[in-house]
Amino acid sequence: MKIKLMLLAVTLVSFSGGAAAFDLGKFLEDRVKQELNKDKPAQPEPSQTTKQAPAASQSAAASPPPAGQKVDAAQLGFALFGDYSLEEENRIGSQISGNLLGAVQLVRDDELQNYVNLVGHWVALQSGRQDVTWRFGVLDTEDINAFAAPGGYIFVTRGLYRLLDNEADLAGVLGHEIAHVTQKHHLKVLKQSSLIGALGQAASRKARGSDPVVQNLIGNGAEIMARGLDKNAEYEADRVGMVYAARAGYTPWGLPGVLQNMAGLPARDSRTGLLYKTHPHPADRLAALGEAVDGRLDDVRGKEVADRFYRIR
Amino acid sequence: MMKTSLISTVALVLCVASATAWAASGTVLRNDKLYSQPSASARVTASVPKGASVEILARQGGWLRVKAGNSTGWIRLLSVRAGAGGLGGVGVGDVVGAATTRSDPTRVVAVAGLRGLNEEDLKQAQFNADELARLDALKVTAAQARSFAGQSGLVAVRVPALPKPKPEQSSSPWENN
Repeated sequence: MKIKLMLLAVTLVSFSGGAAAFDLGKFLEDRVKQELNKDKPAQPEPSQTTKQAPAASQSAAASPPPAGQKVDAAQLGFALFGDYSLEEENRIGSQISGNLLGAVQLVRDDELQNYVNLVGHWVALQSGRQDVTWRFGVLDTEDINAFAAPGGYIFVTRGLYRLLDNEADLAGVLGHEIAHVTQKHHLKVLKQSSLIGALGQAASRKARGSDPVVQNLIGNGAEIMARGLDKNAEYEADRVGMVYAARAGYTPWGLPGVLQNMAGLPARDSRTGLLYKTHPHPADRLAALGEAVDGRLDDVRGKEVADRFYRIR
Repeated sequence: MMKTSLISTVALVLCVASATAWAASGTVLRNDKLYSQPSASARVTASVPKGASVEILARQGGWLRVKAGNSTGWIRLLSVRAGAGGLGGVGVGDVVGAATTRSDPTRVVAVAGLRGLNEEDLKQAQFNADELARLDALKVTAAQARSFAGQSGLVAVRVPALPKPKPEQSSSPWENN
């Protein structure tokens, strides 16, 4: 962590370009330290900040940097300090999802999409998170993958959907993605990287409806989806998602079953290329889940709901 | 090319559909026991060590019926991985590099003209407001979801959260992904 902070500071200092009266790098480093030691009410050093920077507040609004500095205050302040507000979360999720949908369209099958929304929303109702708007979509690609974005955006690819046998399998997969949203995994990653991201100035294009501030926060296009999360976030989403599905009345064994189906695919199956770049191997996920579950779900009975499972052509 | 992909898709679908009775190889992921029935209260018929090879014969809920050496019995679903590759991702590590590269010729075959998703696609992606609006229009209400669940007799049940396991070291090459 310390190394990360130092790296951050070095990056920032190098960008702040000989700031004389106002040491932006130092200032931000102090603020990050404050964030990390929230319980101690740290005071910004007034001698350093009075001249050009207004008193820093805990709100998302950052102090404007000195004129001519290559830092956009709006981006820099995007929830750098404190948690993201619901509105910010929605903006981030909308931008990521709009970009993802720019790379791959939704399957043109309204019956399928409606079915997945009904199952997904029912599982999401068990998550305890009702402040976001849950939306589910099946993406038109044979690649085997699923994605979640902040604000309640959940995607499953057609390739992954084909690996499912029944509604409980779908509930398990969606439960995993819902868990990413409830545990705010992507927001945590963004928060860690937002300083660098804001200074990086991603190549933003003027696509209709695009949010340039958020785009700068998340990098290029939907690359955040290709970078993936920490493996522990994936293991956590497996544990939490499995429980969500069980709470929804489904058998908890849907997600593990899908992981078994993935584990049984040929190692060189090209449809799993991106999946294995961003997720631990299913064998490792099964093993981790096995440690957590052991006999704890032995008494949980649930339904598979195979009869109404929507099969795609 | 199309035909090959069609056949493999059909094969895949068949394989998945027969999940209750499959004959596939697998590897034991943790030291565990074989039971005479798919239940932890059934008689223990054998012990199987981590790393042992098994033949998976059938699946029932959270249990797999396996043959390990001369013993046959039921083992917890999460104690075994299906497929080749042994423990963890060992032996398939090269798939990461191979499959994410655009020039990988095998990728073209598997997706039969439909390009798969890769990192570059995602990076280059441009915001699509129309698709996002389409997604938004598909959302359902909580009331609709509850009604839908009720139609299949699904009832919300209390299930406690699972504990976070103690950190353990895996020797998998997937660790750093």
